[in-house]
Amino acid sequence: MADTDSSQRVQEILTQATEELKSIKVPNDDQLEYDLGNLLVSNNNTLDETLTRDPEKIDSYLHNLARDSIQALLNRVWELPSERIDSDIYATLPKPTTRLPREKPVPKPRPPTKWEKYAREKGINNRKKDKKVWDDVLKRWVPRFGYRKIAAEKEKNWVKEVPSNADPFEDQFAKAAEMKKENVAKNEFQRLRNIAKNKKIKVPSVGVTGNEYASKNELSMAMHHAKHATASRGKFQPELPNEKKVKGLGKKRKIEFTTGSGQVEKKRNIEVLEKMDKPSLNLDGAIHKEIRDENVAMDLKRKGGKVYGRRSKMGGRHRTKSDHKSLKLGTGFQGKGKGKGKGKGKPKGKPNVGAKKKIGGPKMQGKGRPAGKGKMKGKGKGK
Amino acid sequence: MGVIQRVVKPRNSRSKRALEKREPKNIENTKQCLFFVGKKASEEMRRCLRDLYSLRKHHSLHLSRKHPDMAPCVDILPVERLGQKHDASLFCYVARTKKHQNNMVIGRMFNHHLLDLIEVDVSDFRSLAKFNNPKGAEGTKPCLTFAGPGWEDDAALRTLKSLLLDLFRGVEATAVRLQGFELALQFVAVDSKTVLMRGYSIHLKKSGLRTPRIELDLIGPCMTLHLQRSRLASDDLMKRACRQPKQVKANRVKNISKDVFGSRLGRIHMTSQDLGGLQTRKLKGLKKVEGGDGADGGGGGGGGEEEQMELE
Repeated sequence: MADTDSSQRVQEILTQATEELKSIKVPNDDQLEYDLGNLLVSNNNTLDETLTRDPEKIDSYLHNLARDSIQALLNRVWELPSERIDSDIYATLPKPTTRLPREKPVPKPRPPTKWEKYAREKGINNRKKDKKVWDDVLKRWVPRFGYRKIAAEKEKNWVKEVPSNADPFEDQFAKAAEMKKENVAKNEFQRLRNIAKNKKIKVPSVGVTGNEYASKNELSMAMHHAKHATASRGKFQPELPNEKKVKGLGKKRKIEFTTGSGQVEKKRNIEVLEKMDKPSLNLDGAIHKEIRDENVAMDLKRKGGKVYGRRSKMGGRHRTKSDHKSLKLGTGFQGKGKGKGKGKGKPKGKPNVGAKKKIGGPKMQGKGRPAGKGKMKGKGKGK
Repeated sequence: MGVIQRVVKPRNSRSKRALEKREPKNIENTKQCLFFVGKKASEEMRRCLRDLYSLRKHHSLHLSRKHPDMAPCVDILPVERLGQKHDASLFCYVARTKKHQNNMVIGRMFNHHLLDLIEVDVSDFRSLAKFNNPKGAEGTKPCLTFAGPGWEDDAALRTLKSLLLDLFRGVEATAVRLQGFELALQFVAVDSKTVLMRGYSIHLKKSGLRTPRIELDLIGPCMTLHLQRSRLASDDLMKRACRQPKQVKANRVKNISKDVFGSRLGRIHMTSQDLGGLQTRKLKGLKKVEGGDGADGGGGGGGGEEEQMELE
């Protein structure tokens, strides 16, 4: 009895166990399409219309459908070759069979640069260089590049010989540094040119390339210079309707304060005055002029001519009655011509006044217009 | 001198690496996806977008700002520019229009220009948050199943399948951990204009065999997609986009085989040889007789001369 009991117990346990373990079999799993690389399974069979239309039953229908498909997929995945890494089993997936479009086009191989072509022709190969180089002068291993290399170079080249044909006052160190800068710049230019050639960007061989990302100021400056590079300095260049003038061109002017002490202004004005070519105070000339005016006035009073005053019609010289007579006759003025000599002739008749006049005479200028001589004394006619 | 394209010169190794990452490569990076909202979107749609974003957490960008001027079906240029800025080839856009309250556009780009896009109307949305079951970790590679005959027959559905595959497949994996299957996504094409989406979590149960029994648990997101407008790629554009570089193609090793014993055998192809001209040992008996009594032509060609040479 115990035996049958125990065997019954065993049977019960076994049936229970087998019930718990459910089947992994999926019917019609060869009708599905598998893409194991993408973990994709496609079921092309027609769906059950009655179930899909029914909103209550659709969820369970889809659930079952999904379960079967995924079971079929994972059955296949478990059959793939697997390896064990650190207590985890990894299955190696094959390449995906569904063709998906790429993100970017296939890259084209980089064309060889000028140097690479030449090296290939000549059979020059790149040799691997060591990081450190033995320096005999310093008797130690110096790195091939870097700040330690520069320091070592400085140590070695603490003195530089001036070549015989060079200027003795030239800085050889600065010259060497300049050369190095130029070399670096040349190298960089050639590298960028290679890149540009790769990308089929045309670069001019001579001259400076423009700055594409120039600021607004830089662009307006360039435009301003272009405009003014004409024969009439940009005066007749047509303008666009919304074109704005560049600010900040022309001389910068500092505007002083209108309040505060006027010392600065005073100082500046005095400086200006000192710089000026002031005419010196001509005392003699002033005296003679005054005398002459008095003489003329007296003369006219006696003779009876019209006193013209400071601005006379006849070019500043007084005309007496006799002058007018001679004008009418057509003989011209007395004392016409070159100033000094003839001027003397005038005052001869009056001895008491003559003394004064004599002094006054030679200083007289001829006619209203000075004959090209610089300073104009007295009445300010002419230039 | 026209405008010369600026050559971008990286200043340090970090920027150099960033530039190199964006260059076209033989083996490409996983596509980045942009999730962004248009002018207006209902709360439900925004949640829907967030759910899709969480399904593809690791290779996507969720743009928090609204983009009111974007309308991918009308003008694709701003989207292309966005894609170029973030180096993204996929995008998922959600908006509310007068005609459709729950509009969503899924699209992809080739070389930062539009390849194809499909506009769908989303209904019956059930969010991930609605289902209280434990969900798997973010970023796991999901198992995808497409059900229904429409996926093969209809052109728009074929493109949609390709798009959904691109969107949800994650990283292209060479090996997968057998215990790590956590997510399953199901897309059912009920008819040529409607697609149902369901998301399940995978539970592996004992089955007595090495392969486990699969049990699924509905975790969402669940939605119904109604197809609207679509812009499909022309045939030659698609062909150009699908072109693979030679290096990626599997190398076929030819003329080498293994026999039953496991030894490696090779095959050599020869030009046809004239066995009459072979230099063999001269046997007098086999010499060709002029009468026509020729057994072998073997060493007989020019026999007379040869004999003389031998004597000497």
